[in-house]
Amino acid sequence: MKRRTFIGIAAAGTAGMVLPATGGGSVPAAVLENPRLLQILRNKRTVREIGRRYRKIVPRENDAQALAQAILPDARGAGSASLPAAINAQIQRDFADGRTLTLDGWVLSVTEARQCALYSLLPA
Amino acid sequence: MHIDARTLDPGTLIEGDLCIIGAGAAGITIALEYVSSGKKVILLEGGGLNVEAQMQALYHGESLDRPYYPLRSATLHYFGGTTGHWSGYCSPFDPIDFEKRDWVPHSGWPITRKDLDPFYARANKILELGPYEYDAAYWEGLDPDVRRLPLDGKVFFPKMWQFSPPTRMGNVYRDAILKAPNVHLHTYAKVVEIVPNEGLTAIEGLRTKTIEGREHRVRAKQYVLACGSIHNARLLLASNSRATAGVGNAHDLVGRYFMEHFEIIGAQVAFEKAQPFKLYTIPSTGKARARAELALMGEAQRQNKILNGTASFRPGPITGKEQSRFASFSDDAEANVKQRQAMKNTPGAGPVPEHVIYQMFTRQEQAPNPESRIVLSDEKDEIGMPRANLRWKFTGLDKRSVRVFYELLGKELGRAGLGRVQLMEWLLDGDDDKWPNILSGGWHHMGTARMHDDPKQGVVDANCKVHGLANLHVAGASVYTTGGAVNPTLTLVALSLRLADHLKTKVLV
Repeated sequence: MKRRTFIGIAAAGTAGMVLPATGGGSVPAAVLENPRLLQILRNKRTVREIGRRYRKIVPRENDAQALAQAILPDARGAGSASLPAAINAQIQRDFADGRTLTLDGWVLSVTEARQCALYSLLPA
Repeated sequence: MHIDARTLDPGTLIEGDLCIIGAGAAGITIALEYVSSGKKVILLEGGGLNVEAQMQALYHGESLDRPYYPLRSATLHYFGGTTGHWSGYCSPFDPIDFEKRDWVPHSGWPITRKDLDPFYARANKILELGPYEYDAAYWEGLDPDVRRLPLDGKVFFPKMWQFSPPTRMGNVYRDAILKAPNVHLHTYAKVVEIVPNEGLTAIEGLRTKTIEGREHRVRAKQYVLACGSIHNARLLLASNSRATAGVGNAHDLVGRYFMEHFEIIGAQVAFEKAQPFKLYTIPSTGKARARAELALMGEAQRQNKILNGTASFRPGPITGKEQSRFASFSDDAEANVKQRQAMKNTPGAGPVPEHVIYQMFTRQEQAPNPESRIVLSDEKDEIGMPRANLRWKFTGLDKRSVRVFYELLGKELGRAGLGRVQLMEWLLDGDDDKWPNILSGGWHHMGTARMHDDPKQGVVDANCKVHGLANLHVAGASVYTTGGAVNPTLTLVALSLRLADHLKTKVLV
């Protein structure tokens, strides 16, 4: 049984980095790569591990573009400022509709697992 | 009235109207109902007024299949029984616990929760609990800071427990029993055989023996067996001089369906921010000893085809150092009782610390399993009775139920935007027959003389009378058809009150 530790962290910053969005245009990567799960689990390593496991079990989403496209369609039409709220709402809908999976024992929304996967692609 | 059986002449015949075998929670409850009744009650206790190592040694036996608490100290062999070391946790069974559930083989009592409600209210008083209120809304109404987590009420609800001081029945009710002229408590009177008549239709009498070997006989119009699940089965099976398979065992059911509660850390919860937790901690309101655990609604159990279970919150993350209590619980019953006597469940009004990470402590029903059973050993105790061994066996439904419970909790906490659940690795190993070594039990021994209308499916009927025998009843948790998720003591006291009423109004009128 791995020891689980929870430590306070600062949000990762990816200022200037962008990812392609569906339908053209771009979205600041910081929005997609700062999963709300970071605030809940308070552990970068755990979030990264979750993301790594997601990419392993869903190999077709094992890159940033594929992940962004998987997350973004459900938040289409939301501007940058409202994107976090749209993604959080999508996460709650995932739970309500049963779009969940278990990674490293954590019961997660598919959307947030994808966010973790994007986060795991960032340099450590 | 108290008689030490060691002072009686060998061969003495003890006679009465009602004979209760065992002076633990069930036996004392029934005896109290008969005080000043005009009936002569013989209350037989194999031990003395205080716990003694020599008497506990008569309870020694082995758990043959998996670790368990030492049988010589898991239950207590003296006046007051296992209330001498219990922790006082009380909660009534849920209505679904009594229902036939098609996904739980061998489920379905011949009585309902409603049948027991009036007796639960009376049991509350015997165990020195607060008002008979187990709806969380009542406790929330007492204090605005006491409120439930905003989970979907169709899935999860706050299941309330109240905490007895704990009532050590041998202390609290000693005077009431000893001073009752019509209740004759015989200590050191271990029943070694229940003797049926030759036609095996009724009990003719009992044989008792002291540890020094002095034998006596008991004869009564009605008998109630109240020695706890392990020793009820042991005595019925060992009473085989006329009924060769044991008394009440025409269909090979005595001793089977032994059930415990699985008590184990199953998951941890990370909340996004600290939540109001007063309802879920001890003490909760400061006005009484009560708190809630998270429980699944009956309909959610039905939809997911799982057993009943609850989870309580323990502050702090899983550390990897969690341990089972099986190995750490002492086999020295005297020491355990002494340590527990100092324990007091006292309400407090202090602030409840806020946490964001909690371990989830599971309390889970065991599916009734005929292969989980008490069997007689070839070894005999000092008095010459075969010892009782435990064959504690599980089904895949047991572990699956824990896993699905936490998966549902994970989905619900996520939906509510409150936090996330992480299941422990042992729940994700893909093998529902394998349990980790951190598993504990509740010291809750249930089944072994289960209740069912059909004598081919139960040892006793809906009135706790042994099928096929006119004058033998069984009291205590050994009559449970299923075990529910909650501690058994409140229910066994309620059932004992129901049996006492039945005997008084219908049998020994």
